[in-house]
Amino acid sequence: MESYEPLPENRDPVVHLDRQFWIVTAVLAVLALLSILFWIWAPITIFMPEAVDKAQEIDALFRFLAATGTALWIFICGYVLYFSLAFRRHAGTPENAVGIQIHDNNKLEFWWTVVPTVFVVLMAIFSIRIWYGIEVAPGNTLVVEAIGHQWYYTFRYPNVNGEVKEMHLPLGQPVTVHVTSADVIHSFWIPAMRLKQDMVPGLINTMEFTPTRPGKYEIICTEFCGMFHGDMHSGTKENPAYVYIDRPAQYAAWYARTERQQANASNAVAAPASNQLKLAGGDAAAGAKMFATKCSACHALGPFDQRIVGPGLKGVLYDPAHPQLVDGDKATPDNVAKILQNGFKGSMGQMPNQAGNALSNKDIVDLVAYLKTLR
Amino acid sequence: MAATAVHAGGGLADHIHPEPQGFVRKYVFSIDHKIIGIQYMITAFLFMILGGMLAELIRVQLMKASGGLMTPETYNEVYSIHGSTMVWLVIIPLLTGGFGNLIFPVQIGARDVAFPWLNMLSFWIFPVAGLMLYASFLMGAPTAGWTEYPPMSLQGQAGTSMWAAAIFLIGVSSTMTGINFLVTILKMRAPGMTYTRMPLFVWGQFVTAPLLMIATTALGAALAALFVQREFGVAFFDPARGGSPLLWQHMFWFYSHPAVYIMILPAFGMISEILPTFSRKPIFGYKMIAFSSCAIAILGFMVWAHHMFTSGLAPALQLPFMVLTMLIAIPTGVKIFSWVATLWGGVIHMTTSMMFAIGFLATFTLGGITGVFLAAVPFDLHAHGTYFIVAHLHYVLVGGSLMGILAGLFYWYPKMTGRLMNETLGKWAFWLFFIGFNGTFLPMHWLGMWGQPRRVAMYDPQFQGWNQVASWFSFVMTAALILVLINALWSMRNGKRSGHNPWNARTLEWQIPSPMPYYNFKHVPSVFAAPYDFAEPLPYRGLEEELTGAPPPVPAAH
Amino acid sequence: MAVASVAHSGFAGYAEEPDQLYIETRELRIQGFLLFMVSDLVLFSSFIFAYLYLRNSGQGWPAGGPKLDIALAAINSIVLFGSGATMHFALENWKHGSFVKFANWIVMTIILGAGFLSGQVMEYIHIGARWDSGIFGASFYTLTGMHGLHVFGGIIYLTVLLLQAAQGKYTFTKYTGLTLGTLYWHFVDVIWVVLFSIFYLL
Ligand code: HEA
Ligand code: HEA
Ligand code: HEC
Ligand code: CUA
Ligand SMILES: [Cu+2]
Repeated sequence: MESYEPLPENRDPVVHLDRQFWIVTAVLAVLALLSILFWIWAPITIFMPEAVDKAQEIDALFRFLAATGTALWIFICGYVLYFSLAFRRHAGTPENAVGIQIHDNNKLEFWWTVVPTVFVVLMAIFSIRIWYGIEVAPGNTLVVEAIGHQWYYTFRYPNVNGEVKEMHLPLGQPVTVHVTSADVIHSFWIPAMRLKQDMVPGLINTMEFTPTRPGKYEIICTEFCGMFHGDMHSGTKENPAYVYIDRPAQYAAWYARTERQQANASNAVAAPASNQLKLAGGDAAAGAKMFATKCSACHALGPFDQRIVGPGLKGVLYDPAHPQLVDGDKATPDNVAKILQNGFKGSMGQMPNQAGNALSNKDIVDLVAYLKTLR
Repeated sequence: MAATAVHAGGGLADHIHPEPQGFVRKYVFSIDHKIIGIQYMITAFLFMILGGMLAELIRVQLMKASGGLMTPETYNEVYSIHGSTMVWLVIIPLLTGGFGNLIFPVQIGARDVAFPWLNMLSFWIFPVAGLMLYASFLMGAPTAGWTEYPPMSLQGQAGTSMWAAAIFLIGVSSTMTGINFLVTILKMRAPGMTYTRMPLFVWGQFVTAPLLMIATTALGAALAALFVQREFGVAFFDPARGGSPLLWQHMFWFYSHPAVYIMILPAFGMISEILPTFSRKPIFGYKMIAFSSCAIAILGFMVWAHHMFTSGLAPALQLPFMVLTMLIAIPTGVKIFSWVATLWGGVIHMTTSMMFAIGFLATFTLGGITGVFLAAVPFDLHAHGTYFIVAHLHYVLVGGSLMGILAGLFYWYPKMTGRLMNETLGKWAFWLFFIGFNGTFLPMHWLGMWGQPRRVAMYDPQFQGWNQVASWFSFVMTAALILVLINALWSMRNGKRSGHNPWNARTLEWQIPSPMPYYNFKHVPSVFAAPYDFAEPLPYRGLEEELTGAPPPVPAAH
Repeated sequence: MAVASVAHSGFAGYAEEPDQLYIETRELRIQGFLLFMVSDLVLFSSFIFAYLYLRNSGQGWPAGGPKLDIALAAINSIVLFGSGATMHFALENWKHGSFVKFANWIVMTIILGAGFLSGQVMEYIHIGARWDSGIFGASFYTLTGMHGLHVFGGIIYLTVLLLQAAQGKYTFTKYTGLTLGTLYWHFVDVIWVVLFSIFYLL
């Protein structure tokens, strides 16, 4: 068989970049720099105020990403444009003219693998640092629960019966929002906070932040949730959803008012004289629903040994093997209610208290009624 | 001798049946990969017109903040079917079944794919599934988007089950195509066609095929589970009965993230053919381009949960998914830089095809970079579920995949028809498309940042201005595509005759007549080098008779 | 290579040397079949993932707590693995040129396969859960049901192979179909190992 001899010219020629190339590079560098400066000073907050501590960090991350991204893009497109124009075949170029026959260049390829890697590493580090800032819980917090419905939001506050339609948050106090859903998946997004969590039935997602700027901000649902998904934002009049960040005094007034109003609501439980709840009249069905959204993340409906975080709760009140609750008290409805009110920290971990689970008194009564049905 | 067992005498390469006669065997139930490729393309372009019309309905609806054209329910059906159509009935079939079938077997010097009958079956499933998808309109189409998250999709109307069945069928077809292509590339390369001499379009198909095979089956499982949950009450996803809605998200994205690479890797391959051809320069960094495709495909399986950052994914998982996702920028960057370097020092022929390829570089890069933004969890917490996502996905899918397809259409059209498409009309189409495209989707970035959620039929009036801009430009883009369509139809009859190699390209498909003859080659060639050395003689032997009047290959005796 | 010039005669001789075309086609078919099994494996893996995910997502597993009969399942597993062995012997005997022994072994395989299926049916009856009665039913019946269908398909497949062999479709040197059948049957065995461990041992 004949063999195929590559022609001697097949060596890659030595490449010299001419002055024009460096001029273009300099121009692109200037443009890239300008774009970076633009992103550093871009007036993002004119369009979108930063209403919580974390918004600022996320904006910083965005400025960083946008600046690097734009700079990179300017270089790539700049060269593409420049090469396409500079090396365009001219009318006089012979039909069979070929370009410079280079195949690769290890040094160049090395560098253009390293440079994006560096960028990626920087982006990752930046993102991870801010991510930690978002994840870490800021200690002593107000726990509010946000519940998505088709197609509106409701909120629960510790010690407030039932669900309220407005969300108020005190300025400067760390807040934990537990988001969940009563039907399908919704999402809880406050653009002014740059934060969002999906509201998934049977699951509790959390957001933590500290409000830093009073005002009224819209809440938007960004997860398709049925016919009127498009109504779950303030753009349409039917169900405007807002969060109000109030000064502490205002907030306290609102809270007191709401607590009072809700206490008289139809789902009220006689206000407890002491810490002791009256357990009569619990609604086991409501409790079951509550359990599925709030408790099932940590508790299985199986026997005691079937742990998720806490013990399985099947037969808490009847289990001969465990006549006592984890806190050592006898397994009676009252004592279960006490655990739900106060929480308990034992060998398995922390059972959150009433505020931590954002339970109203009525909820506890319902839950105990439900737990009683589990034999 | 044994070293080149593949295609040695008396083997498959010489096993030839006479060309079938009669319209039905030749053009309808054909087993010829080229005809099947064209069938795929025609079908997919028809679906593209439907999907595009739905897109324009979306844009007309969004002209006014209060909507008005459609009820929210209809609107939801429209974008769900728009997304499903474009992904499963347009881009994937065009890139794999269409251009893949048409071109890559010739490029490796094969006479057909490994299993021609299977290939025919794969194709025929596709229009059937497509019609099923559109039939769901009659039964109440799905409304929960192309992602169909439960529990929403469990409440959807009867059409949702139909949707699941249709997509499942498409999946079966894709899986079969994947197996077929993979075996073909592994086993049926011409003598001397080593892995490092394969054209890069073949590499694109080579890494896409396993994705088709593996990811699509996973989707099949998810769809089957959704179907039985809906129809028989089997509790996979229903939270009320112990199931988990997040399970669907995992299963769906385990397919759908690799699927986005199914939709881009073959397009990368096309760009890697078109840029060197029209620059008259070897592709820069051949090995790195091939290798980076593999890296993307492998990484692509490890990042699916970046679509679920807000859904309650455990924090311990968010970090690895974020970092792995960002890593994909590196191999992709290597490709982009290599393409830019390919332009440098070339003799650039500004054909329409080349213009689309260059446009691809600009728009895909932008879409890719916004993808990296989204990979950063804290930013994604803001942007998820907004028009920023819509902008990202159209920049990569329309500015990437579709631009690649248009470049490929202008490039390979002569191989299908023997005629060139009209260049003047083509350049008009390019500019209209490029301007229309950017005008439509660029504003969506800030619309999303400012607070316009996706999948809404009505929005806050403050966004109306930019939405109108997007809508008007989308009409420009549609006009451009209609021009392309007219061009394609007109040129079939009236285009300039192309000859066998109008672009002076060097891969094997250009060394045989246009349109390509039955069984491709008179003699299977042998290959001596990668195809991109424009200053050298062609690295093939055994092609001497292809363009002469020599008799076609003789069918085997039986 | 020497036989490259042997004409295709339409009728495959009893011990005809495999020609180039045959060798290449065999390679393609085996390769394709292996890839098919890979994607089938992904199908199972997806549901296995679903099962493990549901089981660990903490919604009270196993709701209703059906009792699995591990003894029955163990016996059943042995039956199935036995059928893997008999299938192996069947193919070996074919390679050594004995149709009768081949036929005996493959009939054994089919019988064992059917035995396994009846064992499965007993298990289903015994458990008493339903496909739609919660996440246990969903994952258990879907996975074992899919596997059962594979066994059932395998039985039909092997029967067809036996008939074809009887009709002389395969020779002792050209028997790709039989190889594929064996591969498939072993594949179904291996899947069962996984299913058995995750449902009965985990
Ligand atoms: C590859 C995929 C692809 C393509 C090409 C397109 C193309 C377009 N898309 Fe699409 N889109 C998606 C994939 C795609 N889209 C996906 C996956 C979603 C998400 C869906 C979901 O939320 O579930 C989406 C969602 C989506 C939305 C968001 C809807 C919402 O969230 O409420 C919008 C809004 O403007 C939109 C607009 C458009 C427009 C204007 C085009 C235009 O480019 C269309 C241009 C017009 C045409 C293509 C038709 C005209 C063409 C011809 C007449 C000739 C054709 C023939 C030849 C070329 C030969 N799309
Ligand atoms: C062809 C299709 C395609 C492609 C190729 C990509 C590519 C990428 N995508 Fe995209 N994506 C989609 C289609 C695609 N995507 C779709 C359809 C959705 C929405 C689905 C839905 O919800 O409906 C989506 C959504 C989506 C999300 C989820 C957002 C959300 O819903 O919250 C994320 C998050 O990480 C993401 C990231 C990425 C990344 C990192 C890449 C990377 O692969 C991009 C890599 C490329 C580059 C980065 C550019 C070139 C590189 C350089 C020039 C080097 C230097 C660059 C840097 C250092 C940054 N995409
Ligand atoms: C963040 C996890 C978590 C959530 C949410 C949670 N629990 Fe608990 N729970 C625990 C832990 C941990 C324990 C055990 C504490 C220990 O002993 O270490 C516990 C203990 C209990 C006990 C005592 C069990 C026994 O057998 O003594 C009861 C009753 C209980 N929880 C009920 C509930 C109810 C009702 C809810 C829903 C409103 C709930 N829990 C939500 C973690 C949780
Ligand atoms: Cu609630 Cu969308
Ligand atoms: Cu993705």
